[in-house]
Amino acid sequence: MQLGRKKKQTIETVLYTLPAIILVTVMMYIPFVMSGYYSLTEWNGIAKEPVFIGFDNFITLFSKGSDFAKSLIFTARYTVVFMIVANVFALALAVILVKKLRTANILRGIFFVPYIMSMTIVGFIWKFIFSQGFAKMFEMTGLEFLNLSWLGDPKLAFYSVAFVGIWQSVGFYVVLYIAGLQAVPSDVLEAATVDGANGPAKFFRVTLPLLGPSITTCIFMSLTNSLKVFDIILALTKGGPGGSTYSVTLDIYREAFQNNNYGLGAAKSLVFFLIILVLTQLVLKGSRNKEVDI
Amino acid sequence: MTRKQKKQCKMILLEVIMVILALVYIYPVYLMFINSVKPFGEVVADVIALPKVIEWQNYKDVIDKMNYGKLFLNNVVITTIGIIGIVAFSSATAYILDRRPGKYTRIAHLLVITPMLIPFQTIMITLLKVMNVIHLTGSTWGLGIQYWGFGIPMATFIYCNFMKTIPKEIDESAFIDGASTAKTFTSVIFPLLKSVTATVVVLDVMWIWNDFLLPLLMVNSSPKTKTLVLSAYTFVGQFNTQWHYAMTAMVLAVLPSILFFILLQKNIVEGVVAGAVKG
Repeated sequence: MQLGRKKKQTIETVLYTLPAIILVTVMMYIPFVMSGYYSLTEWNGIAKEPVFIGFDNFITLFSKGSDFAKSLIFTARYTVVFMIVANVFALALAVILVKKLRTANILRGIFFVPYIMSMTIVGFIWKFIFSQGFAKMFEMTGLEFLNLSWLGDPKLAFYSVAFVGIWQSVGFYVVLYIAGLQAVPSDVLEAATVDGANGPAKFFRVTLPLLGPSITTCIFMSLTNSLKVFDIILALTKGGPGGSTYSVTLDIYREAFQNNNYGLGAAKSLVFFLIILVLTQLVLKGSRNKEVDI
Repeated sequence: MTRKQKKQCKMILLEVIMVILALVYIYPVYLMFINSVKPFGEVVADVIALPKVIEWQNYKDVIDKMNYGKLFLNNVVITTIGIIGIVAFSSATAYILDRRPGKYTRIAHLLVITPMLIPFQTIMITLLKVMNVIHLTGSTWGLGIQYWGFGIPMATFIYCNFMKTIPKEIDESAFIDGASTAKTFTSVIFPLLKSVTATVVVLDVMWIWNDFLLPLLMVNSSPKTKTLVLSAYTFVGQFNTQWHYAMTAMVLAVLPSILFFILLQKNIVEGVVAGAVKG
């Protein structure tokens, strides 16, 4: 009787968890393992069998002047700019928006609106602004920067894409920082005031260190999100002009689904996986070490 | 001026600056809206001015050309199927993983959570092949089911963290009353998970509704199965010189999200914060 009950419990445990395990296996693990296999082959997706070619794909990837190397450089630059600007700007906004402003709630809502819109549409909106909108504003104001080719010039296009990416998601980081700021105990801040600390000192010596967990979360999220940038670029520049906004994810997509080099695409996607894995672990470790507890 | 008055002045100044900043920030969205109701000539002549006449014909044309009703329904079907599966499987899994500690559950836990580390782009090439084999491509319900696999790791992770805070005595007393595991879960535990379920629903609705790459790979071949964003993408590409139609299509694509946000602002913001902090 006792044994029967235990057996029944075990079956139950397996039954409850099995759907999740099967789904995750079919959607994630099997494709992942297959990517590993195809990365060692030459295969165009249609023709017969994939041909095993060892590590040739990985050698091609890092050969001089390859698209992949260029896309890595763009993605690295994009990630650095995105992480710094988005976090600093969001933190600044959050610090202001936790103050007792009459319109604070509406303002928070406004900054959050772009985040709930599809990134593809956000890309299109800005494409319209950069071309039609800026042209008209230049006509009206004569401000020279409005007359620049923000999407047509390779140097400027980088900043346009980064700007739109940041514009879309700043609201998300603002909300996280606000939650963090609200959790900073007010008695600690009062104690600092009593001890004679002024505004900036209070912020940098008390608030910022106590904000550790929020900063970790935001840095982590901004890192993974910017490394994976895709939709916005596809809508804004399609990787151009002259490959100046060509991201790793776009390169993987093109290689596989437009050039039909599934093998090479799979190799790229694995390298991308390793890069994300290593960077996120490093960042998590690095910023967790800096967190302080009260 | 006293110190207090000075401080008040400063606050008012700050408020004014912030309001201006916010208006500039949201100006592109405003421009999209006003240009979506202008006739073509007016968009070309002046994108900034308010429309002289409101041209609802744009909306009639675009709704017709895009087959908007069908697209909207597709999005609802995909999102609903996705959410129901993610919530049901993740919550049940998390319940058992937390309540039956042992060798099996430890391994199961690791197996279900680990895929959070795999970026979608790493598996998308071979995923398409696998989904073709099991016939989940080319249909809205198939796409909805696919979201189960991608949503479960994160959702289970969030549910697991919350399960720990529900005292075991609660299910024990239900067992003593003779309730089965299924009964305990559905009528005692699941209702207690309400706040986490809200978080999971908010995060996953925003994700699935606006997702681009997975639908592009799986349901792009027929206009009958396309999603709203996917169709807007094609439409804007086709009408990229007819900005009035493009703008209207863009408004129609984002309007549901904006309304969703206005109605549920508080829940959405809370959900996003909870999801990010726990994830």
